[in-house]
Amino acid sequence: MNTPAAAGRAPDVTRELRHLLAAVTGRPELLACPEEEALFGTGVGLDSLTGTLLLRRIQDRFGVDVAAEDLNLDSLATLASLAEFVARRSAAAGPAG
Amino acid sequence: MIRPVPSGPQVDAWWFDAGRTTLGPAELAELSAGERDRAAAFVFAADRHRYQAAHVALRRVLARYTGISPHDLSFRREPCPRCGGPSGRPVLTAAGPLAAVPWFSLSHTGDVVLVAVAGRPVGADAERDPGRCVCSLAGSMHPADAARVAGLTGQARHRAVIGWWVRAEAALKCAGEGITHRLGEFPVLPPATACPGPAPGGCELATVPAPPGCQAAVALAAPAPGLRVTIAGPLPGPAAGPPGTLGEGSERAARRQR
Repeated sequence: MNTPAAAGRAPDVTRELRHLLAAVTGRPELLACPEEEALFGTGVGLDSLTGTLLLRRIQDRFGVDVAAEDLNLDSLATLASLAEFVARRSAAAGPAG
Repeated sequence: MIRPVPSGPQVDAWWFDAGRTTLGPAELAELSAGERDRAAAFVFAADRHRYQAAHVALRRVLARYTGISPHDLSFRREPCPRCGGPSGRPVLTAAGPLAAVPWFSLSHTGDVVLVAVAGRPVGADAERDPGRCVCSLAGSMHPADAARVAGLTGQARHRAVIGWWVRAEAALKCAGEGITHRLGEFPVLPPATACPGPAPGGCELATVPAPPGCQAAVALAAPAPGLRVTIAGPLPGPAAGPPGTLGEGSERAARRQR
C-alpha cells in the first residue's frame, strides 16, 4: 500500500497538515509540532471539537474523509501517521487540489 | 462533611479555572502514577498544567462525595459499549463501603474545567468558542438539528453549532462512547430535552450556565424528566475566587498557596 508516490508526497502533506493544525487551533506554536507526538489525549492535547474541525479541513484540502475511511482512527495518532494516511489515500484518488 | 451524591434527575456541576490554579507539590501528589505519566507526555507546559489542574479538581470533587482522600481514589476505564475498545468511560472504583458511588464526567476546554456529578451515568461537555468558523461541523449533525441551524446566520448560527456540539458530546459521554462514534445519529438541539440516543434508553439534556465565551451541556441517563443542574462550585471569570482556588471544596489548599 505504501507506494513510492505516496511516500514521496508525505513530507509535503506533513507540512500542510502542520499549517491546518495551527490554523484550526489558533496556536502558531503547532507549526513546530513534532511529527511523532500524540495529537489527542496527551502530546499536543487536541480536543475532539478541534480534531473534527481538522478532519473537515483535511477533507476540503485533500479530498480524504479520514473518519469514514479509518474507522478506528488509528491514523489520527500522530502527525506522521495522519500524513502517511492522507498521502496514501490522496495519491490513490489522484492529484489533490 | 460528605456531600450527598445527587439523586434522581439532579446533576451537580463544578467549574474551575486552571488559569487561576497554582499546582504545588501537595496538589501534584494527589495524582496517580498513571496521571503523572500522562502529564509528562504533553509537549507544551500549558497543556500539561491544564491536564493536571483538571485531574486534581476532579479528584477533589469526588473526595467530597466519597470521603476518600483525593490520592486514594482509583479509576478504571470501561470498554467502549460501541466498539469494545479501551476508550470507554472512566469510572470510580469504590474501595470500601460507600453509601452511593458517584457517576461523573470531566470536560476541559482551554483553562476552563467542568466536573459533573450525578447518581447515574452522566456526560458533560464544555467548549470554549474556538474563535474561528465552525460551520463545517454542521455537516456532522443529525438532519433534524441541521434543519434547526439551517435558517440561522452569523453569530446566531456560530453559537448554535457550538451549542449542538456540547449537547451531542455530552450525550455520547453519558452513554460511555468514544466521541468518534455516531455524532450525528441522534438529534440534540432544543426545544427537545429528551434525546433518543445514543444509548438504548436515551438521555435527558440540559444546558449548563457557563463562563463567558464558553458553552456547556450535561446529559443524564433516562428517565430523568425535569433534569436540574446545580452549580456546586464557582464559575470561573472575573468574579471567581482568589488565584489558586480549586472550587469551594479547597479552601485549605487555597490558603496554603497564598
